Amino acid sequence: MSLLAYGEPAQSSDTDSTAAEAEADVLVDFTAMLQRQRQGDCGGWFGCDSKMQSAQSDQGYYLEQYVLGVLDFSSQYGIDYSISYTATNVIGRPTKFPAYGDYPETFPMRTYGDWWQRAPSATREIQPQNLPKLETHDYVVVYFEEFVVPTEVAIFETFNPGAVVRIWAYGLTKHWTCLWEATESDLARPPLDSRRFAPALKKTTMVTKTLRIDFNHSRLNYYTEIDAIMLCGRTVSKTQNLLAKQQRTQQSRTLLSPPPEVKDSPPSDGSGGPISYKLRTLKFQPNCGEDGASKLHEFINNDLSQFLADNCVDGGERPPQICLTDLPFEILLRILSYLDLKSLFRVGQVSRTFYDISTHPLLYAEISLKSYWHVASSELLCTLARRATMLRKLDLSWCGGFGNVSPTEFKKFLTQRGDNLTHLRLNSCKFLNASCIENVGIVCDNLIELSLRNCATDPPLLNFSCLANLKNLERLDLFQTYFETELLLSMLEGNRKLKHLNLAFCGVSVNMDNVAAHLATYNTQLISLDLWKAHFLSARGLQSLARLHQLEELDLGWCLREASLGDGLFQLLSNCPKLKKLFLSAVRGTTERDLMHIAALGKNLEQLDLMGILNITHERVYDILVHCPKLQLLDLSFCDNIMDRDFDVLADWSRQFNVDMKSSRR
Amino acid sequence: MHSSLSWTSRVISRALRSSFSTLLETATGGGGGAAAKGATKSGAGAGSAGSPRPRFVSVVCGFAKDNLRHKYKPGKYGEDSWFKASTASADVMGVADGVGGWRSYGIDPGEFSSFLMRTCERLVQCSHFNPQRPVNLLAYSYCELMEQKKPILGSSTACVLILNRETSTVHTANIGDSGFMVVREGQVVHKSEEQQHYFNTPFQLSLPPPGHGPNVLSDSPESADTMSFPVRDGDVILIATDGVFDNVPEKLMLQVLSEVEGERDPVKLQMTANSLALMARTLSLNSEFLSPFALSARRNNIQARGGKPDDITVVLATVAM
Repeated sequence: MSLLAYGEPAQSSDTDSTAAEAEADVLVDFTAMLQRQRQGDCGGWFGCDSKMQSAQSDQGYYLEQYVLGVLDFSSQYGIDYSISYTATNVIGRPTKFPAYGDYPETFPMRTYGDWWQRAPSATREIQPQNLPKLETHDYVVVYFEEFVVPTEVAIFETFNPGAVVRIWAYGLTKHWTCLWEATESDLARPPLDSRRFAPALKKTTMVTKTLRIDFNHSRLNYYTEIDAIMLCGRTVSKTQNLLAKQQRTQQSRTLLSPPPEVKDSPPSDGSGGPISYKLRTLKFQPNCGEDGASKLHEFINNDLSQFLADNCVDGGERPPQICLTDLPFEILLRILSYLDLKSLFRVGQVSRTFYDISTHPLLYAEISLKSYWHVASSELLCTLARRATMLRKLDLSWCGGFGNVSPTEFKKFLTQRGDNLTHLRLNSCKFLNASCIENVGIVCDNLIELSLRNCATDPPLLNFSCLANLKNLERLDLFQTYFETELLLSMLEGNRKLKHLNLAFCGVSVNMDNVAAHLATYNTQLISLDLWKAHFLSARGLQSLARLHQLEELDLGWCLREASLGDGLFQLLSNCPKLKKLFLSAVRGTTERDLMHIAALGKNLEQLDLMGILNITHERVYDILVHCPKLQLLDLSFCDNIMDRDFDVLADWSRQFNVDMKSSRR
Repeated sequence: MHSSLSWTSRVISRALRSSFSTLLETATGGGGGAAAKGATKSGAGAGSAGSPRPRFVSVVCGFAKDNLRHKYKPGKYGEDSWFKASTASADVMGVADGVGGWRSYGIDPGEFSSFLMRTCERLVQCSHFNPQRPVNLLAYSYCELMEQKKPILGSSTACVLILNRETSTVHTANIGDSGFMVVREGQVVHKSEEQQHYFNTPFQLSLPPPGHGPNVLSDSPESADTMSFPVRDGDVILIATDGVFDNVPEKLMLQVLSEVEGERDPVKLQMTANSLALMARTLSLNSEFLSPFALSARRNNIQARGGKPDDITVVLATVAM
């Protein structure tokens, strides 16, 4: 099947013309966007080098600059009003580099390794085939003072380096370009020392002063911390003229003849689907998978061509042509269901038949635009709205920055297609405003999962009662999003089946004791609860939480401050025997008695975080290791009592009990 | 008390959240127009051209009480700590005196004061720094203590002074028995008051170890004494810990400070600061001299004599326009 030809689709004659005419605007939407991006990326590809070089000859000087401000970040360790362990620390010159260690003057993210994927609160990605091989877990968007043509981006890592996977730049033409992407070899874990990470960037002539850095922590041992980001490049003196020039060169490029077909080159913008990846690494060997679906998948990949070749009649007339479209419709649908969204759009360009198959609503029951955040736009939503009549799961996380998606379009989309939605994720969506959320509450009453991470705006978004219409929620994620206590309480009352609740960083505006009391009364099926940095939770709140008998995961990091826990922890451990993950980071009121209770009652504990707790002794640690047979993670960073001496003893125990123990030493 | 701590933090965090959110642009603003909101040294703009923009010429000197135990570290003198910072809109200075009683609990008293001052220094560069409210600076710095992974315990006094360049006004906040003194034309024009609960027990910001909360004196930043006053070219400002005020009589200090009125040469200023610090040190080790500390002890019916050995920190500045 022919791949996308790099010319204006309206002019190309390869694709089926009737399809093109009838739905020209539809075909153009997604693919044209990707095209423009490609053309933007690939500089002097058409031999326009001379033109681009004339733009470069604007007198500029070489400039190195540090971050001026942070526009967005997906998560940070500290709370937003603090300057310790927060994203604001990437601003300006590096403060700690080249020192190596866990310093509050740097920027760590909230998670590390794969521990959160192993916890009871882990979620499954929507449309996982869209994700690139090295998916992005976290990101930060920063801006600098001067526009430059980037030649180098240096990231100063001062703790557990090696998480950076992608560097994007936002150009004058309002498009994002990926300047660098990690390959497998890049992620071999670097030595545990601070480093100035400056990978080789793609040659580009774009002008930028806004960067986005993508991180992937899955291979890291502990939190990674960034001290500063530096952007080096050549300045351009007249940015307005440059913008006009770039737009003119783009237009002139499209009039040139399309190049020879590019054979399946790896897409440089970071999202190749599993099929195209697999085709590259294929060996021709019949495979017998366990599962029927993968058997079929592998048959098509591996054996189909052999099968077709075998069935050709020797010599003479045209052998009976068996082609892909002879397969039954349902089988083709099944095959196409493995494709990522981008490939699906491309398949639709092949022929009328494939267009019909690829636009079938069953293929759009789950849509995730998270991997396409850089091209997601209102037009795309419009196109998808036409196809997605059976939409069940929608993930628009990270989309809509810089005004690409309009709230009106989103609301229209939701009104058209949202009534059967069961899963909705709108993490870090910048286009959300109050009426969007209102729409969600009104339209999507079948929602089981609602995720509104990092939607902090001022005034707080969630301050009206429409969300209280949702009565079937099992998962509610309000990480780093601020809202009114009353609304949350009414939502808790309404959603008795709530199983997973994430209220990290919400503890300042919300009275957590009240929330805990409500949970104990109305949401007794709760399995996981995240109350990270709820400083004002008190022992009373803890006792309320002890009434949640189904609790398997509880994150009380930085809660309670120095307040004594009373017997709250004892009650919690006695009444919640299923507890698998318990984070007590910096809960300084934890006493030695509490640690004894943990050892005695925490039979099912798998992840335990005791960072920064005073007065931990070796005996208590040994107790816990012996009596918690399922323990996999034990974080003892900043427990200075035990770290000062006998560090090797801890290393021995770690091996003996097969527990990953974290400590402040390297 | 724990409750004052939680109340302070609540109020601060709400106030901070609303001002801090300007740091994070909404995406519709875009990157281009956002340069003005960046949180770096670009404080207020140029201000009105033509009006004098004062600045501090400042120097620091001091001695640790126990020279053997405390190796010299920049920013600290024993358990005392100090900081200096400046932005386009303000010059800021401060001292903090760690309360020594914590040593018996196994806590290093210098850690708290040092952290307080270092954080103040960092906070000055933040976008939400308000050049009119030194109390806020202290309060935010105090709140940052909660956010440290490494538990920091102890207590200290504090004195912070901000020179607002736009208005040529100095705003001060003082908790405890450190303090400042402003000298103009041979006279003390402004002086801070010692805040004490009882003799030798000053007001202090503190973070007690868990469990000891009710037993420990903990004053909230709101209880700081604040003052605001205009300054003129040539004014001499001294910020020091009680090691100086308790040992050097005011007349003597006045004499030393009036000599550097209008001095803009930092070398000469440093010499004066050095001599003041040395004076304080010598007097503190003198067991016969009737120091201000001894006099005040006698007023409290305690028979005392001689100087008070203590850490000495002198931050000396003159206003230059």
